[in-house]
Amino acid sequence: MRILPRTAESGSYAALAGLAPKRRPSLTPYYFILPYLVFFVLFRLGPSLAGLGIAFTNWQAVGTPRFVGFANFEAMARDPRLGDAFQNTVFFVLLTVPTLIVLSLALALFLNQPRRGRAVGRVVVFMPYVIMSTVVGVLWTWILDKDFGLLNVYLNFFGIANVPWLVSESTAMYGIILTTVWWTVGYDMVLFLAGLQDIPHELYEAARIDGARAWGVFRFVTLPLLAPTTFLVLMLTIINSFQVFDQVYVMTSGGPGTATLTLVQYIYTTSFQFQKFGYGSAVALILFGILVIVAFFQIRGYRRGLKGVE
Amino acid sequence: MSRTISRAAWYVLLAVVVALVLAPALWMLSTSIKPEREIITTQIRWIPQNFTVEHFQAIVQNYPMMQWLFNSLFTATAATLLVLVLDSMAGYAFARMEFRGRGLLFMIVLSMLFVPIQITVVPLFILFSRLGLTDTYWALILPVGANVTGVFLMRQFFLSIPGELEEAARVDGASAFRVFWSVVLPLARPALTAVAIITFLSTWNSFFWPLIVTRSDSVRTLPVGIAQFLSLRAGMVQGQMSIGQSMAGAVFAALPPIIIFVILQRYFIEGISRTGIKG
Repeated sequence: MRILPRTAESGSYAALAGLAPKRRPSLTPYYFILPYLVFFVLFRLGPSLAGLGIAFTNWQAVGTPRFVGFANFEAMARDPRLGDAFQNTVFFVLLTVPTLIVLSLALALFLNQPRRGRAVGRVVVFMPYVIMSTVVGVLWTWILDKDFGLLNVYLNFFGIANVPWLVSESTAMYGIILTTVWWTVGYDMVLFLAGLQDIPHELYEAARIDGARAWGVFRFVTLPLLAPTTFLVLMLTIINSFQVFDQVYVMTSGGPGTATLTLVQYIYTTSFQFQKFGYGSAVALILFGILVIVAFFQIRGYRRGLKGVE
Repeated sequence: MSRTISRAAWYVLLAVVVALVLAPALWMLSTSIKPEREIITTQIRWIPQNFTVEHFQAIVQNYPMMQWLFNSLFTATAATLLVLVLDSMAGYAFARMEFRGRGLLFMIVLSMLFVPIQITVVPLFILFSRLGLTDTYWALILPVGANVTGVFLMRQFFLSIPGELEEAARVDGASAFRVFWSVVLPLARPALTAVAIITFLSTWNSFFWPLIVTRSDSVRTLPVGIAQFLSLRAGMVQGQMSIGQSMAGAVFAALPPIIIFVILQRYFIEGISRTGIKG
């Protein structure tokens, strides 16, 4: 039984119980919600709508913004740097997301076994996530140093010559990806662990009694029942990956050349270094569009997948 | 027999995972306490031959590390308290009260999860400069109050608890605020902890907005300070900073959250998990 305040609809409950006389719709819910709404409208909804508007202006910090229709979006088509940023971001997403999902799921399965020391494993794998992104960037710049970095020195042991990592256009993005995976894999793992713990034990036992081997159990019990979690992790990881910025800003500033320039890095430079608010907001709007499309396809795919399970 | 082998395999694999994840962090620590001549070498020595704290002394003397640390702690704490008050009330209303437009309003709030912060920063920056509040703590704290995740988590939690206690309190004649304060909130401890940890962590780590809205060291937070002063660019040390000093700065900034995490790890992991659980 849910308790409801004395509003128009729920007044009937109170009236039925004979506890309170009929009342006009109460303002109480609004008292509870108003403080948050003030912040929400002022700092989130309002700025979002304003950003949408600014994307259709030629505003450059000084002067009055003038409405220019789709001119900003037309200009994007002729902007090679934006093209690079877009390509780099997609490349980053395509490599980072599958790596993170597979690795974090494997770690979650591994550390979900009822064995000694798993708690330590979980804490250690999650630990990098509590370090701030810029510190992670500084730290990995040193790890990935071409001449004295830890990684190259160890790779030398295996006869691999010095990889230029962040100083070469062809390898810089891999350095950023490696850093990102180390930093965030524990977060995804924790989400997967939570999902694994929701799977009833009986199902595993039933599958085993039916003679399923480890792979069969994984394929026909774990994976389908984990679908809601996988969906969530995939969604969060894709959204976060499209917005990659901090590591790039600290480690390469988008370089060498435009090798690691990402969409958000480009939005930042356009809006806040060149003060092209209109154009920067238009690029941000494109990013928003990408996220909405991704979400749309994922929710659709997820619904379909769920039907398959049930 | 196969049992012992798989047990040995478990420990070996566990050790490999732990070592791989810890190595970069330990290397940061190791570098920060070595003299410079032991740093610039291709010989790997995890435990320095000569131990030194000169890098830590140098960064604390030359850079306002303590001020940045204070700014980070202060703004993250204030923002977390703000979020706890706003989101518990709003989440409660969304879950337990009926009012006009509730469904629509909740949809609008949730939809903002998909709007990247990059769309809002220009208008937000202009709003704060019109108010004369750029480069103040206010600019770092107030926007966090508009977060969506906290409201969502609180609502989910309030939907999951039974209503009998509230009912009983109401029958006894307690007002809605009284019921919320003395009956509902004490029950909501786990959810409040989760929201507090998520908010604190994300504010503590926040970089994009603080980078834009702060200029002076008296307001700047650690992530921004670190990025501006300690950045090594692809092997080239920028400005006066040596690798030893930049690693000392990194250790300085990484240690507080790691210590807090190790002490409170159960709550961290529960808190993060909660974002993934339906109820």
